[in-house]
Amino acid sequence: MRRTGPGPHILAYALAALVMVYASYLLPRMLPGDFVSAMYSSSHVTLSAAQEQELRSYYTGRDGFVWYLKDLVTFEWGYSYAFLSPISRLILQALPWTLLLMGSAHILSMVAGFFAGVEAAWRRGSTTEKSGVGLMTVLQGIPEIGTGVILLMVFAFYLGWFPAAGGETAYAEFSGLERATDILKHLALPFTTLFLAYLPGNFLLTRAGMAMILKKQYLETARAKGLPPMRVRYAHAARNALLPMVTRFGLRIAFMVTGALIIETIYSYPGLGTLLFNAISQRDLPLVQGIVLFSSLAILLINLALESAYGFLDPRVRYAS
Amino acid sequence: MNLTIKNLRVTYVSNEHRLLALDRVNLELTPGKVIALVGESGSGKTTLGKAVMGLLPDYARVKGSVSLESLELLSLPAPEMNKLRWSRISMLFQNGAESLNPVYRILDQVAEPLIQKQGFSRKDAGLQAQKALEQTGLDPGLGSRFPHEVSGGEMQRCLLAMALIMSPEIIILDEPTASLDAMNKTLIRQVILGAKNKGQAVLVITHDLDLARDTADEAVVLYLGQVMEVLPAVELFLAPRHPYTLALARSYPALDTHRDLGGIRGDAFYRTVHRHREENGNIRFHSHLIGPDQEHEHCHATPGGCLFVDRCTQALPECREKEIAIQETDGYELRCLRGGIATLLRLKSISKSYAGKTALHPVDLELKAGEIFCLVGESGSGKTTLAMIGAALLKQDSGSRIYSNRNMDQWIRQDYLSLAGKIGLVHQHPAQAVSHRFSVFEIISEPLKIQGYYSRQEILEKVLSALKDVHLSTEPEFLSRYPHELNMGALQRICIARALVTGPSLLIADEPTSSLDPSVQAKVLKMILDLQIEKGLTMLFVTHDIGLARKIGDRMGVMLAGRMVESGPAAQILNKSAHPYTRLLINGSGSQVHDGPVSLKAGRDRGCPFVSRCGWKRDLCVNDNPETRQTSQGDHFVRCHFPLN
Amino acid sequence: MHLNAAKRLARDPWFIAGAGISGLIILFLASSPLLVVHDPHDMDFIPFSPPSAEHWLGVNDGGMDIFSELMAGMKNTLHFGLLTGLVCLIIGACAGLFSAWFRGIPDLIIMRLSDVFLAVPAVMVLILVAAFFRPSPFYLALVLAALSWPTIAKVIRAQTLVVKAGMHIHSSRQMGASGLYVIRRHLMPELYPLYLIGFVSKARMAMFMEVSLSFLGLLDPGRKSLGMMINYALRYYYLDIWWSWLLPPVICLTLLIMGVTFLALSLEKIFDPRLKEIM
Repeated sequence: MRRTGPGPHILAYALAALVMVYASYLLPRMLPGDFVSAMYSSSHVTLSAAQEQELRSYYTGRDGFVWYLKDLVTFEWGYSYAFLSPISRLILQALPWTLLLMGSAHILSMVAGFFAGVEAAWRRGSTTEKSGVGLMTVLQGIPEIGTGVILLMVFAFYLGWFPAAGGETAYAEFSGLERATDILKHLALPFTTLFLAYLPGNFLLTRAGMAMILKKQYLETARAKGLPPMRVRYAHAARNALLPMVTRFGLRIAFMVTGALIIETIYSYPGLGTLLFNAISQRDLPLVQGIVLFSSLAILLINLALESAYGFLDPRVRYAS
Repeated sequence: MNLTIKNLRVTYVSNEHRLLALDRVNLELTPGKVIALVGESGSGKTTLGKAVMGLLPDYARVKGSVSLESLELLSLPAPEMNKLRWSRISMLFQNGAESLNPVYRILDQVAEPLIQKQGFSRKDAGLQAQKALEQTGLDPGLGSRFPHEVSGGEMQRCLLAMALIMSPEIIILDEPTASLDAMNKTLIRQVILGAKNKGQAVLVITHDLDLARDTADEAVVLYLGQVMEVLPAVELFLAPRHPYTLALARSYPALDTHRDLGGIRGDAFYRTVHRHREENGNIRFHSHLIGPDQEHEHCHATPGGCLFVDRCTQALPECREKEIAIQETDGYELRCLRGGIATLLRLKSISKSYAGKTALHPVDLELKAGEIFCLVGESGSGKTTLAMIGAALLKQDSGSRIYSNRNMDQWIRQDYLSLAGKIGLVHQHPAQAVSHRFSVFEIISEPLKIQGYYSRQEILEKVLSALKDVHLSTEPEFLSRYPHELNMGALQRICIARALVTGPSLLIADEPTSSLDPSVQAKVLKMILDLQIEKGLTMLFVTHDIGLARKIGDRMGVMLAGRMVESGPAAQILNKSAHPYTRLLINGSGSQVHDGPVSLKAGRDRGCPFVSRCGWKRDLCVNDNPETRQTSQGDHFVRCHFPLN
Repeated sequence: MHLNAAKRLARDPWFIAGAGISGLIILFLASSPLLVVHDPHDMDFIPFSPPSAEHWLGVNDGGMDIFSELMAGMKNTLHFGLLTGLVCLIIGACAGLFSAWFRGIPDLIIMRLSDVFLAVPAVMVLILVAAFFRPSPFYLALVLAALSWPTIAKVIRAQTLVVKAGMHIHSSRQMGASGLYVIRRHLMPELYPLYLIGFVSKARMAMFMEVSLSFLGLLDPGRKSLGMMINYALRYYYLDIWWSWLLPPVICLTLLIMGVTFLALSLEKIFDPRLKEIM
């Protein structure tokens, strides 16, 4: 099962997952001083003695990594006193929103960036290409905080075209199409911010990849075969440009998460990002721990999936049978 | 069906200069014809192939005409051109390793043209592609693999199958045998001949002269974008007419010529054309030849002139200036001011007798410029005599000598000194060839002193340069040594230096290495050969060792009892010798030979001189002296009633 | 080759832009003793004062001068970035060199280790550590560096392997040079461009991290930071703070990141032979 792919070995992912879980198990026990009193220290929550006792026993009593693992698997992630809800429920409630935002932003920016990059590279040396590259490079230099804040201020506060906060209008009893439109309106600005943040990277990467591919011998063969030009451009050239984009995506995903976090916070979008932010400001350490662990494992899973996808896309790195 | 290329001119244009890749090339491909486009890298061969396919980059400017029947390809709109690509003209590119897309299976890529251009279903196309792959001898399962999983030879076959899949009328192969082993090369040959039989036309672009000779009908020799010669492919090694073609053939490691690699003097250049605005406002174009590291190492101020002039072994001053057009003579084309390889020395019907003994019955000898001619024979065969007559040292009894189109006898009478400077002579015994009173310097400088018009400075320079050429020391200490202080090898080098110091164009060497130690022989021989290439000398090499002739000769002449019994291209004589004596020499101690003394007896002028030792003799041979007759292969002559081939 | 590259670098528009922006920023910050009139932590001023001659950008909700905050914040971000970049470079370069030079078991170990580190999402760990332990930015920078070195190590290792196989190394060895000599005289010079590229990209990433963390409230609230400023300013969106409080940190942040991005881009372009002809 020797693999020749570019990323870490599958074992590395398993180890990393183990490390994360163990660290999250260990961390609370490593805090100097009293863990429980550190929690909620800056929040409005005051714990009754009984609750404190319960917490303490939760964290110190049921020692043993195996118990911890068992808890994880059975979704027994603990209870948040700041939000008065089991942590697992909080996370699972926030998850769909994050998936919606990040998923749509990533997918659309990949598609747009890919096609724009392919077309730009095909017109190598033209003003279209040069200005496209210039524009995208500048865009890449702007951090998403910047775009997020500016979009918020201009379109939500000054112009009022889009709502400034939330995933959907609170307490409104919408359903069906109305609800969908409402959600989309709330999604618009955070989505645009992230879209603009991810687009340049995809564009530039695809373009650079295409530029290298256009010189390859097999492109000349494809042209010589008298194939329809679109087919040459996409089936032969662009197909090979997918590979570096996929690899880069895997490597960058962890950093993209930070950006998404901040954007959610700015727009008070009810995803994991805002949840984390609130947890932090309330010093709800179990909740922080839960969100971080969950996200990390999710990221690891996505990376693993990408590695397999890479093998599918590029026969040269497939597992040897 | 006919592909006609007329006056094709391709220029690559960049900001600084224009690179002229093809200069008014003409070519015609008819069904069932195979043309080999021969030349070194940089000659423009690949550019031609790509021009036909319409695959030149944007910065290429194309002029002229490339037409398929009446369809002019150069002005065809893109979709039309795209349609006829692969279906009527297909191309196999150089460096096949990266020719296929790494993410698709081989079978899919071979079948792709059928699906995309002829609307085949995936299944049908797949079956046909599978058949095509198997026809090139590949395993049935190979098609389902990916390009990186097959070897170089297998890849080449896949590419071939792909190129032929639509049975195009015209197939262009660009270096199909580069870095392939012998077995795969045979396959390529078979494919080409197969296509030829099917009535397809093949353009084989190659520097592999073997392949050209074996598969092509016609060979077009390209140098720096210009056609230098067009000739039947079989004559590439045997009878090239352009000095460049000869040089190519000599540099090529063909298996059956046995010759050591020659090489071509000088460096390969690229030819660019610079725009130049003159004072009167005209724009002129100057051809420049740029050296291998793209520096303007060598500039040609004049726009005309032969491109090969600096590397040619027989260049005249006019070759540098005049615009040289290509000449066509029944099937052959030639671009050379001198009409092809010039004859440097021609000896006609030379005969010589000493004291009643005939040393030479009328003998003919022709030396072409730039070649090495080996005169082979036993002692007493007359070879040395003939060489000495050619060197102007001896005078013949009858017959004529022409050197560089000028009658030698007249020349000797009028101005011997000028002729002497053009011929260099090296003898067998160096110790005897020099005066023991002369120092090294004096020995080597003697010819210059005799010529008389060199200053002291010039003489010194030339002597030092000559010493460097033969890899001897230039220290003053060495220059003042005397022959008895030197060994044979060094002495012979000094003799060679002396022979070359006046810059001759003809070097006659009479057994120059026979009296040297075996270990030294090889070194001196190699040195002579290197000098021959470097200085563009024509060489007449006299030897008794046919093995040696095999190693160094372009053409060969076998002498026996004062007669030239066989002469022609060395390769041909060695492989298909016509005279029994030649066979004897080649085989060492051949069978069917009777031992016997050399028959150079007085009065034995009747009958074939070899008769006493010949195993194939018949009655006719005893009484009747055979005349020289031409064998079926062109330049090959033999004196025998019943030639062996 | 390096002189050639330096010339090309100087002519590259992105480098000029990046260097220009970074230069301006550094100039700006360097002149802070002349410009800043107030202690950024001084809370004595009237909150929400509009910009004036005394307070160029006004005063924030806590009574602190915004302009001084801005400068202090930028400096902190810059320091964080440079520190992380430097430490990351040192660890990564040492690991990469060590790995490539000695090969064998040490190489295997280091590579496996890097794989694990690469798989772990650094951000998450950082957030976790910051949330739990509230360390000072200095230690956080070290933690971040400790998580990010693998990419640099891999790049340095790859290049070292290439150089190591070169002829001039063999000749040097044959002359009797010690390993240290070879590393110092032959290897290091080949790696300078990679150091630069690695340092700049890691510094950029770290600056981004610092802003994000401070925005999320994970860093010490008493410490001035651009992220924190934006966070606070956003809370008062209904006031007229757009031009004086919210936009300046956004712009400064953007300029900072942009400058470094351009620098990294042009460095990569010039020194990575594969990308050269493309851009």
